[in-house]
Amino acid sequence: MGKKERVSVKICVGTACFVQGGADLLLYNEFLDPVVLGGCDIEGVSCLGGCKDPNAKDRPPYVQIGGVIHGDMTQEKLCKLLAEAVHA
Amino acid sequence: MLELNNQYTVMKRQVHAEVLKAFFAGTLEQEVDALPIKIIPKARIANRCCIYKERAMVRYRIMALMGINIETEDDELKSLSSYVREVMEKDKHVAPILTTISTACSSCPPDRYLISEACRGCFARPCLANCPKDCITFSNGQAHIDDARCIRCGKCKEVCPFHAVVHIPVPCEEACPVNAVKKNEEGYVEIDYQKCISCGRCAMSCPFGAIVERSGVMPVVKMLKAQEHVTALIAPAIEGQFPGTLAQIKQALLATGFSSVIEVSQGAETTSLHEAHELSERKSEGKGYMTTSCCPAYMELVDKHLPFLGERRSSALSPMGYAALEAKKANPQTKTVFIGPCLAKRVEAAKLKTIDGVLTFSELASLFIAKGVDVREMEKADLGKTESFEDCREFALSGGVASCVLSRYAKADEVSVLPINGIDKKMFRTMKIWDKRQPEADLIEVMCCEGGCINGPGVVVKPSVALKLRGGNKAAAPVKAMRSIVGARE
Repeated sequence: MGKKERVSVKICVGTACFVQGGADLLLYNEFLDPVVLGGCDIEGVSCLGGCKDPNAKDRPPYVQIGGVIHGDMTQEKLCKLLAEAVHA
Repeated sequence: MLELNNQYTVMKRQVHAEVLKAFFAGTLEQEVDALPIKIIPKARIANRCCIYKERAMVRYRIMALMGINIETEDDELKSLSSYVREVMEKDKHVAPILTTISTACSSCPPDRYLISEACRGCFARPCLANCPKDCITFSNGQAHIDDARCIRCGKCKEVCPFHAVVHIPVPCEEACPVNAVKKNEEGYVEIDYQKCISCGRCAMSCPFGAIVERSGVMPVVKMLKAQEHVTALIAPAIEGQFPGTLAQIKQALLATGFSSVIEVSQGAETTSLHEAHELSERKSEGKGYMTTSCCPAYMELVDKHLPFLGERRSSALSPMGYAALEAKKANPQTKTVFIGPCLAKRVEAAKLKTIDGVLTFSELASLFIAKGVDVREMEKADLGKTESFEDCREFALSGGVASCVLSRYAKADEVSVLPINGIDKKMFRTMKIWDKRQPEADLIEVMCCEGGCINGPGVVVKPSVALKLRGGNKAAAPVKAMRSIVGARE
């Protein structure tokens, strides 16, 4: 079995995301399962552009997981999505 | 206190950002009456009874942002646009800082202790044994509390091995240290402004958002739009509130339209020096303990409730006061705007002639969003010479003020320090008896908010996040500051 690729996670820390709950996602060391944490490369990045789309269905904060942008992110939702991505 | 990360915070910030966007676009007066509908669209699943009530609440949040006193000035027949027109013409009077929205108030029932289904009706029955009023009875194999006799001491909750006893508080009443928040005859919240110290704890606690701050944002954005020379006085707590360094935050402020930026930590240096000098004088004259004077909610507490502490307070101006003097010295024409985490600072600012406006960090965040300013994208601004006051950025943390005073005091090891880390009901009771029994300390550092200003009512992020982002994204130094105090006490 080849070594699994690590999941790339980009937390948007543009002002809109940061202010509307994105800041809490930066505590990932505390709320993520250590096994999941070990399988991810997490970084804070500048505005992903999610908030600039007038037709967007979801709202800040946005997080990009393996190339896909997810909105309305919470600590719980991030735990779930990352666990799925890591164990996939 | 309510967890900062909640639906109400998100809604409030969205409302603020939308209003400010429209203001800078010059369309606020035309758009404002449609904003509640835009923000609460038909498809929304309502958190309150229905979308119409939510829209009504958005209307009140907009009024609060305009600085309108909802208790006295609410006229349901008046359109938001006519309120906006009034505010554009003339700034609202500042006091009182807080106002209540009675229709948002859920009129919570009086606080009570309740024994839940988790009760196993155990043999030991520690609840029964420890209740001082004999108000616990057993029926159907479970304990019950007689509300009429219960004195809400909480003993039963402490001793229950199954955690079956719950305390159901009235959040606003419980949060107020001075019993200024009460319910009126109809059961709706009311604030006694004769008692209120503007600490903002009630507003931070209400899960229905029924107590709101009358914002000071409009006078400031009017100054910015008119392109006046405006100096931003940034509180020491600002570092860690935004995703970026202090230098980037400064640049973001310049990009938002402020003409210059002064760190209030600079004024904090003067405050520390003044207090160190005053402390040494008091000590040599054997005058007893001295308290700090930088927390404006504490200043209100002394003025309204603990007058005997008046002579105990340091005579130093607050860091904001000294920073404002610096700003006016550099440019006598400049308008000064204090940007901090504090509501009570507006009470202090209204008494000083040197402060022209006050913003909270949360309002600044909305301003950044409205102006499309991304702190992280900013270049680094030059912070100037900061060596002499860098340690004063710790004024934002409990223990930080005392450690700055001590580090400017010749014989620091002779001084014993008592940090008051947050004023709740119990601490207020403790302070009341200082009149009769003097606290055993030379220097008492008082901060109304637990943890210090980084936990104030106007912050963007909770303290754990702020601490992570402070000190150039390294872990901050509050531990060090606390250690020096513990050391000083020993």
